[in-house]
Amino acid sequence: MKMAGDGEKLITYALGSCIGICLYEPQRKLAALIHIMLPLNMETGRKNAYKYADTGIRTTLREMEMKGACRAAINAKIAGGARMFEVSGGSLGNIGQRNSESVHQILRMEKIRLLWEDVGGTIARTMEFDSATGNGTIRSYGHPEVKF
Amino acid sequence: MDIKNYEDLSGLEIDTLKEIGSIGTGNAATALSQLIGKEVRITLPEVRIMGYNEAIEWIGGPEAITAGVLSQLGGEINGIMLSVQQMDFINLVLSNVLGRSVTDFIQLQEMQISTLVEVGNIMISTFINALSGLADISIKLTVPAFAVDMQGAILTVPMAAYGGQSDYIMTIGGNFICDNRQVPCRLLLSPDIRSLNFLLRKLGVMDE
Repeated sequence: MKMAGDGEKLITYALGSCIGICLYEPQRKLAALIHIMLPLNMETGRKNAYKYADTGIRTTLREMEMKGACRAAINAKIAGGARMFEVSGGSLGNIGQRNSESVHQILRMEKIRLLWEDVGGTIARTMEFDSATGNGTIRSYGHPEVKF
Repeated sequence: MDIKNYEDLSGLEIDTLKEIGSIGTGNAATALSQLIGKEVRITLPEVRIMGYNEAIEWIGGPEAITAGVLSQLGGEINGIMLSVQQMDFINLVLSNVLGRSVTDFIQLQEMQISTLVEVGNIMISTFINALSGLADISIKLTVPAFAVDMQGAILTVPMAAYGGQSDYIMTIGGNFICDNRQVPCRLLLSPDIRSLNFLLRKLGVMDE
């Protein structure tokens, strides 16, 4: 997880089945970018909170509040959750989808508005997020850049 | 004593995994040589256990484009094996098998892709055959899947599959030498922890 203000930009590279979650508080122009890999934290020690959708989002929200963000004003934009390989059977193929479902559910439970999403498909995405505007871009191989 | 994640591996256990890597890549080089009809040798491979970020840097950064061939391991061992095929490797194969090379991944067409999948499949299966022979276990492989995209996203697949257990992956790297040129060989193996324990016990290196 990376956090920025003062017009700084945040970037996370090559989201495949992972999901990039941009959390933004427009009044303070405080931005956070989380790169989650798995839907739910079932680690015993819970060491890597930011690796999972549930603990990643919740921990980041708390840290934003500690930096003075107003919880009710925070919104979200998300991208990723792709299926990189067409593999028949098993749980391997749908990790992206499970990540996406979990992120949606946690955002709903935490009452964070989801303003924009670009999830699913079969392509990797690099996500850049501007703390000055709350907008960003998605870069992919062989596809035009997407602004959000 | 069973290990709980890759960090717990002892020096002897890591040496054993290195030996497997060495024999496996040697066999893969022989298979590649038969396929392209030229002598292919391999430098002494380096087998390491790496964290995700280290592994990404090792293959050249998250955004570089690469081709990946992936098979899932079943039977007595569960896991994922990935053959990362960078441009130099792809052209070594394509120029020798199909007589024409490419300059960008976007130029890959069905015929080339199926050749690369087959090469990946051969490399993975010869490696796994060496492993199952050494440890006397039966391992089944799924039909290989193929993708071209950013390396970071391709590498995440084996990491995410067992990411709840460990942040580490086994990397097997060496250089194929063919026509006096060196071409990187990059294989990644990610057995789940239960399977890794089973494997080490079968190889007789685990302390009881």
